[in-house]
Amino acid sequence: MSSSPSVVEASGVGKVFGSGTAAVTALTGIDLSIAPGEFISLIGPSGCGKSTLLRLIGDLTGPTSGQLTINGKSPEEARLDRDYGIVFQKATLLDWRTVTKNVELPLEIMNQSERDGRAARMLDLVQLRDFAEHYPWQLSGGMQQRVAIARALVFEPSLLLMDEPFGALDEMTRELMQQEVLRIWGETNTTVVFVTHSIPEAVFLSTRVVVMSARPGRISSVIETTLPHPRDVETRESPEFYARVTEVREALRQGEST
Amino acid sequence: MSTTPFDAFDGDLPMGTKAPFFLGATLREYGPALVLFVGGILLWEGAVRLFNIEAFVLPAPSVIFESLQSQWPEISAAAGNTMFEALGGLVAGITLGVVMALSVVRFSAMRDGFMPFAIATNAIPIIALAPILNNMFPITSPVSKMAAVAIVIFFPVIINTSRGLTEVDPDELELMRSLASTPREVFTRVRIPHALPYFFSAVKIATTLSIIVAIVSEYFGGRQDTLGQYIIRKANLFVFPDAWAAILVASLVGIALYGLILAIERVSMPWHVAYQSGDAN
Repeated sequence: MSSSPSVVEASGVGKVFGSGTAAVTALTGIDLSIAPGEFISLIGPSGCGKSTLLRLIGDLTGPTSGQLTINGKSPEEARLDRDYGIVFQKATLLDWRTVTKNVELPLEIMNQSERDGRAARMLDLVQLRDFAEHYPWQLSGGMQQRVAIARALVFEPSLLLMDEPFGALDEMTRELMQQEVLRIWGETNTTVVFVTHSIPEAVFLSTRVVVMSARPGRISSVIETTLPHPRDVETRESPEFYARVTEVREALRQGEST
Repeated sequence: MSTTPFDAFDGDLPMGTKAPFFLGATLREYGPALVLFVGGILLWEGAVRLFNIEAFVLPAPSVIFESLQSQWPEISAAAGNTMFEALGGLVAGITLGVVMALSVVRFSAMRDGFMPFAIATNAIPIIALAPILNNMFPITSPVSKMAAVAIVIFFPVIINTSRGLTEVDPDELELMRSLASTPREVFTRVRIPHALPYFFSAVKIATTLSIIVAIVSEYFGGRQDTLGQYIIRKANLFVFPDAWAAILVASLVGIALYGLILAIERVSMPWHVAYQSGDAN
C-alpha cells in the first residue's frame, strides 16, 4: 500500500493442513501489508485462522501457498535474525527461573553480555522491578503476562507477536494490561500483531483491525480505528469508540453470512 | 500516575514471601507424626505386657531397645556394610538410569532398541536374581549386592527422568524456537530443569528400594557382618528381639538416606521446594 518498506508483506498466502480428502484449508488468499510502527489486531470467529496467520508470520509453521516476507526476508530468516518477540496466551515462563532470569533468557541465548541492566530496564517498563527475584508461581496471572511481554521485548525485536495474550485474564486486569501494552508500544516504536476475539480490545489497541472469517479462513475487511492517541478510559467511553466497535461487529457479522 | 493502578491492583496478590521458621510451625508439621509414633509405641508395649505376647511373635519395644543397646557394636557394623552396598548400588543405578534416559530421549532408535530390554530386566524378581548375582562375584564382595540394587532401581530412574525430559510444555519449545535456540540450548535450559522434579521422585523411590534389595540379596549369602545375614542368623537362633533391633536399624538407615536425598533436592531445586512449601500453607 505505502511506499515505505513494510514489516510484514503477505500476498496470496494460504495454509492447508493435511492432504487429500483430509485436507483442511485454514487460510486462503491472505493479502496484508503492515507498516513499521503499526498496531494490527487480527479478529474473527474461532477457526478463521487468525492464530495460524500469526504463526506463519512468526515461522512457527510454514505457508502452503503465496508469498510472505518479514522485513524483506523470509519468515525463517527473520526468525533466525531474531526479528520478532512472541507472547502466548499462557505466560510460558520457565518455573525454575526468577523473573529477572526469565527476562534475560533471550539475551542469554543470543550470547549478549550486559544482561542485568537491560532486564532491569524492561522490568521498569512493565512495572515489576520489585518482583525481580520472585519465581513465576509467586506472581498473579497479569503479572506473569507482563513478565512475558518484558521477555519478548528485551532484545528490541522489530515485531511483537501476541496470540490472545490476555485471554486468560479477568476483565479488570485485561483493561489494565491493554493500557499497559499501548504505553509500551508508544515508548518502544515496535510493530505489533495482536490476535484477539474481543472486539473492544481490538478497537482500543489497534491502528487497524483486520477482520477475518472462517471456512475457509480469509480476511473479510480491514477497519482503520482512527481514534486519537493517547487512549485511556475516556477513549473507551467515547462515541467514536462505540462507532468503531459497531463497525467491527457489523464486519464480523457480514463475514459470517457470506 | 500511570504506575499506581497496577500497584494498587496487583499488590496484594503475590504469595510466598518467606515465612520465618517458627518452632510453632515445626510442631504443627511434625506434631501429628510424633504423637502417632509415641502413642503407637506405648500401645505396643502395653499390648505385649497385657496379653503376655511371646517374644517370637512380637517382642515389646523396651526389650527391642535393650537388644539394640547390647548388640550395638555388631548391628552398627552390619548396618554400615549394608548401607555401603545400598549406596554403591544407588550411585551405579542412578548413573545408568540418567545416562540411558538422556540417550533414549536424544535418539529415538535407542528408545526402540533399548526399552524392551529395560522392561524385561525390570520384570525379573530380585529373589530370582540375587542368588545368581551372588555367584558371579567373590562370596564376600559387595559388588553382587550393588549390582542387584542397581538393576532394580535404574528402571524407575529411566522411566521418570525420560518422562520429565519429554513432557515439556509445547509452548516452551515454541518460545525457544522463536529465539532461534539450538537443540543443545533447549536441552540445557528447558528439558533438563523440567526433568529434575521427576528425577528426584524416582531417586526417592530408589532410595527405599535400595535398602530392601541389599538386605534381600544378603539373605542369599555373602559376608556375615551385614544386616540381612544378622537378621537371618538371629531368627534361626530364635533371638527375635535382636532381629527386631536390626530391622529397626535398617529402617533408620532408609530414613537417613531419604533425608540425604531431600537435602540434595532442596539445594538443587530451590524454586520447586519453595513452591511445595508455599502450596502447603
